[in-house]
Amino acid sequence: MRESTGPKPYMNPYLAGVILGLTLLASYLILGAGLGASSGIARIAAYLESGLAPSHVSSSEYFGAWGKEPLNYYLVFMFLGVFVGGLFSAVMARRLKFQVERGQKASRKFRLVLALAGGVLAGFASRLAQGCTSGQALSGSAMLLSGSLVFFLCVFAGGYAAAWFVRRQWHD
Amino acid sequence: MISTFFGQDALSSSVAMAAAFVIGLAFGFSLEQAGFGSSRRLAGIFYLRDMAVLKVMFTAVLVAMLGLQYAAGLGLIKEEQLFFIPSIYGAQIVGGLIFGVGFVMGAWCPGTAAVGLASGRLDALVFLAGAGIGSVFFNEMFGVLKGLYAWGDGGVRFAWQALNLSAAGFAFLFVLVAIGCFWGAEYLERRITGTGEYWRSPFLRSFSAALVIFALGLMAIQGGASEEIAAGVPARTATMLAEIESAKDHMEPEELAERLMQGETGIMLADIRPAEEYAEFHIRGAVNISMSDLPAALAGKESKGIIVLYSNGMTHPAQARDALARMGHRNVYILTDGLVGFIDRILKPASLRMEPLSAEQTARINSWGHYFSSLGKPQMVQAQPEEPLPISRPIPPTWPGLVETAWLAENLGSPEIRVIEVRAQPQYNRGHIPGSVCVSTENFRGVVGGVSSMLQPTELLARHISLMGIRPTDKVVIVPDDKPHDATLVAMAFARLGHARFGILSGGFPRWTLEKRPVTTELPQAQESQYPVPSPDTFTVTYKQIIEYLKAADSVIIDVRPSEFYTGKKVEEARGGHIPGAKSRPYTEDISKFAHITMFKSSEELTKAYASLVPAKQTTVIIHCRTGHQASQTFFVMRYLLGYERVLWYDAGWSEWAARSELPVDK
Repeated sequence: MRESTGPKPYMNPYLAGVILGLTLLASYLILGAGLGASSGIARIAAYLESGLAPSHVSSSEYFGAWGKEPLNYYLVFMFLGVFVGGLFSAVMARRLKFQVERGQKASRKFRLVLALAGGVLAGFASRLAQGCTSGQALSGSAMLLSGSLVFFLCVFAGGYAAAWFVRRQWHD
Repeated sequence: MISTFFGQDALSSSVAMAAAFVIGLAFGFSLEQAGFGSSRRLAGIFYLRDMAVLKVMFTAVLVAMLGLQYAAGLGLIKEEQLFFIPSIYGAQIVGGLIFGVGFVMGAWCPGTAAVGLASGRLDALVFLAGAGIGSVFFNEMFGVLKGLYAWGDGGVRFAWQALNLSAAGFAFLFVLVAIGCFWGAEYLERRITGTGEYWRSPFLRSFSAALVIFALGLMAIQGGASEEIAAGVPARTATMLAEIESAKDHMEPEELAERLMQGETGIMLADIRPAEEYAEFHIRGAVNISMSDLPAALAGKESKGIIVLYSNGMTHPAQARDALARMGHRNVYILTDGLVGFIDRILKPASLRMEPLSAEQTARINSWGHYFSSLGKPQMVQAQPEEPLPISRPIPPTWPGLVETAWLAENLGSPEIRVIEVRAQPQYNRGHIPGSVCVSTENFRGVVGGVSSMLQPTELLARHISLMGIRPTDKVVIVPDDKPHDATLVAMAFARLGHARFGILSGGFPRWTLEKRPVTTELPQAQESQYPVPSPDTFTVTYKQIIEYLKAADSVIIDVRPSEFYTGKKVEEARGGHIPGAKSRPYTEDISKFAHITMFKSSEELTKAYASLVPAKQTTVIIHCRTGHQASQTFFVMRYLLGYERVLWYDAGWSEWAARSELPVDK
């Protein structure tokens, strides 16, 4: 496999998994709740939308329930932490590189359109299911919650079902 | 004992925010180290090129799972300190499938995209923008999506209880499956791309062995006498509720009679009535155990034979059975219809029976009569006298549900118990339950969207509850005067906030004073809390949704107003009559009066009544009255006392429906 992202090799995935698992455990024991990422994005989106249409957002049923300051929420801060932690690690490992990651035969535009569409679906779906790979698949599964495990399985079912149709973005 | 920010209701404090940020740092660091700042690596799992996602995620889940189970097993943390995501199967299945498609298209998920952005990936930025747009889209469509969002709501459910395993047993199987996946992933990588560097490596061997040892250790500590393992308690309650729902906890009198006559030795028949009543008459072979002595008398018999409880009716045995089930008894049954039913169905001679009987049936009845009459003298009670006000026993409540006065009296003063009296202020001032606050139903209502007397939105309710100093983990006991529907309206506010433990004092304040329990004129202390504002509830429906339900025609609408309003004989709004297809069940039918004390009818009476109105526990039921007040009582009865799963509340009620001339009305 071609190593395209930087000079330092990745950490042993099992070791990275142990660190991630201990982080999750710390989150349970300190916060009383698991990790989360999509909530942070949704709240930032709600904040941006209310900059454009404040009365519309505050009167809307879903975002409106988050009050006047949607950013005042622990998962927003966690999301910022993920970015900063990721930046620190990427710089340390010399993996920070400005690029659109794609297969050599795929155009930038094609890859970005898929990234956007994928983002829309993932953003929407994580609101519907009340969590994403972090909040549901990871945090909920480790608590052995039925619904979260079902979500985990469905993510992979959906992913494998659609993988063939979007494979060209990785063709070299 | 660990106390979390969630447990202290301090998740929105600045310290918790800082802690979340620091945890985020570690989260981002581990994702980046795993190589998840690369979309190509993430997508690899879907093309079987690079299985890192599986290895990292499964390892993380196993580590956190084992850590949490150890913490619970060793008594370091209690379940109320943890937030459990409810299982809403429909939403999670549909959401999971869509999410999977988005994941493989975008090759990011929300957390990894943040790390991708930090690694300079422009496609991650575009993905994040898309995720924001998707969230906004969800918000805009929420009105239409509400049904899906709540579809298949099963509450907090654990996978191991669904499979009838212990938590440790399930964890062990999970570990084995994950190890299988690790080895499979390494093998696949080796075959397909020539990587898979850990295949048969000493590292993966020892890592797998370590996981198995930890999982076995968990079985050892949880398998022992740890009755109070934090995570085990909700499961037991859930199993119990499932059994009650399927009536597996009942034994029919005929079955009991046959089994006793055959001399089955494993059956213990317990008569839980007062000793005088037992002395007067009891079923042959029964022993007399008072309700308060049951736990002691049955200790150590958790899985030995079966235990059948009976009393005159079914309320007390049902309560006792629930309490025993929570203590780990899985073998306790209650006699269907109690002693009254036994007399009627077993002891009544064939000659007195109204129904036509075959010769075979007559012979059977005679043999029962012969066996059970040969000891004691069965008194043919034609009609049981009116039951007196039931004696309150200190049975722990099932939240949300009814709270026994005896239990409250024993637990009063515990800091997590908060008592709210829904009584008139002058009466409250003259005497109230120590520590209680006084509210009026109107404190929780207002004009919403032009309709008056609507339950306030979450934000206002949360503010209100915060001022009372109530935290999400508190046990809230709502005390009515003689109108249970006042208490149930306040209960709706807690339901809307997603509060877990609230209940209504059975018999209310009048019963409390009748039983001579403590009252005071002292005002309580309350320190303002910060009650979090949740997402909107999913049980409140609008007239537009009702129209959709009417079209689908698979739901039941129950109109709980007095019947003269239902028929249109009496009219106080713009129009009279009822919603087409609605069934009438006045809310007053669910309560009975003992002098000045109002109680909910027994659950068996209510179960029977509603079973004839609603086909199944899973049927969608929409409840309304004029302004949502009386309907809140029926909502409480059906949702919490009877366990109907999809009960919806049309708060705006007839006052809105009648005023909208475009809406259909029947008379």
